[in-house]
Amino acid sequence: MNEKHSIVEIWVYLSGSPLFALFLTLVAYQIGLLIYQRSRQNPLANPVAIAILIAASVIELIDMPYEKYFEGAQFIHFLLGSATVSLAVPIYRGLHTLKGRSLILLLSLMVGGFASILSAVGISRIFGADAAIINAMYTKSVTAPIAMGIAERIGSSPTLTAIFAVCTGILGAILAPSVLNLCGVKEWWKRGFPIGIAAHGIGTSRAFSVNHEAGTYASLAMGMNGIFSSIAIPIIYQYLNHIL
Amino acid sequence: MLPGLIQILLFQSIGEIISKFFLPFLPGPVIGLVLLLCWLVIQKKVNTDLALVSDTLSQYLGLLFVPAAVGVVLFLPQLKTNALPIFAALIGSVIFTIMASALVLKFFQKWSNK
Repeated sequence: MNEKHSIVEIWVYLSGSPLFALFLTLVAYQIGLLIYQRSRQNPLANPVAIAILIAASVIELIDMPYEKYFEGAQFIHFLLGSATVSLAVPIYRGLHTLKGRSLILLLSLMVGGFASILSAVGISRIFGADAAIINAMYTKSVTAPIAMGIAERIGSSPTLTAIFAVCTGILGAILAPSVLNLCGVKEWWKRGFPIGIAAHGIGTSRAFSVNHEAGTYASLAMGMNGIFSSIAIPIIYQYLNHIL
Repeated sequence: MLPGLIQILLFQSIGEIISKFFLPFLPGPVIGLVLLLCWLVIQKKVNTDLALVSDTLSQYLGLLFVPAAVGVVLFLPQLKTNALPIFAALIGSVIFTIMASALVLKFFQKWSNK
């Protein structure tokens, strides 16, 4: 057997097993994390965005159909449900901070939650986006694992849902400080909470890197918005599709 | 670590069952989340096994949606033709959302006791 033949054989064997997609996904994410740390946690060097870019480029380059890739990567995808359940722990840890502020935080959550859904759907509709794009806009401020669960319920694409959620997180992490300054909000808890509602996990880790209190409130807001949106989005979705 | 994983899978399964038979519009894992949260409030503490699994999953949360997001290769033409509405909606909405929730916190200060 000559050398070229054996490499082809190894390749055919590897690309046929789920191992390759798993390996590619983990390596891509690890590279993303390294770049993110090197850039001193610049939100633009988001590890998820880098991992998506690398993995998508590789499967395009080697002509691997996405379905084939997903067959292997679904083992990672499966953990989304368990990750959603385990969000109960950070929410529980943040609950004590609610004391005395629960009313105002709940009001802020509801106003922010509705604002997020209606503005994203409204703007994309006004600008004439396709139905598939508009449907994936509903969940863009929801933490991705919960957003995927909601996407399944309203029948929107899990891919677009994940992409819009990641973009929103990055944009929120970059824009939040200026927007909060513009609103004249100074206390850390008031700065953290809106970031968690608008920009879920990516915004939350940014908030933690600036101030611990802001991070705790952002994390609480992210969890609360996840629960709120799971109930609100299917109802709003039904209603909007009924009247429009 | 294993007892923590078992707890999470247990609550996830209960959530899925409730979702299937009683609350079809809510995703099973979200029901599992709420039940686990109630359980933690009753217990008044997070046991170390559960904390370990939960912190590990949270740490790598971003990794978990890479497989779905890589499907972007199938949507490139559609994303290109919809680029303007997408940018407008994502940027406009994130600014509007932060403003709306921040202004509530600013102007309803009297609703908070501290």
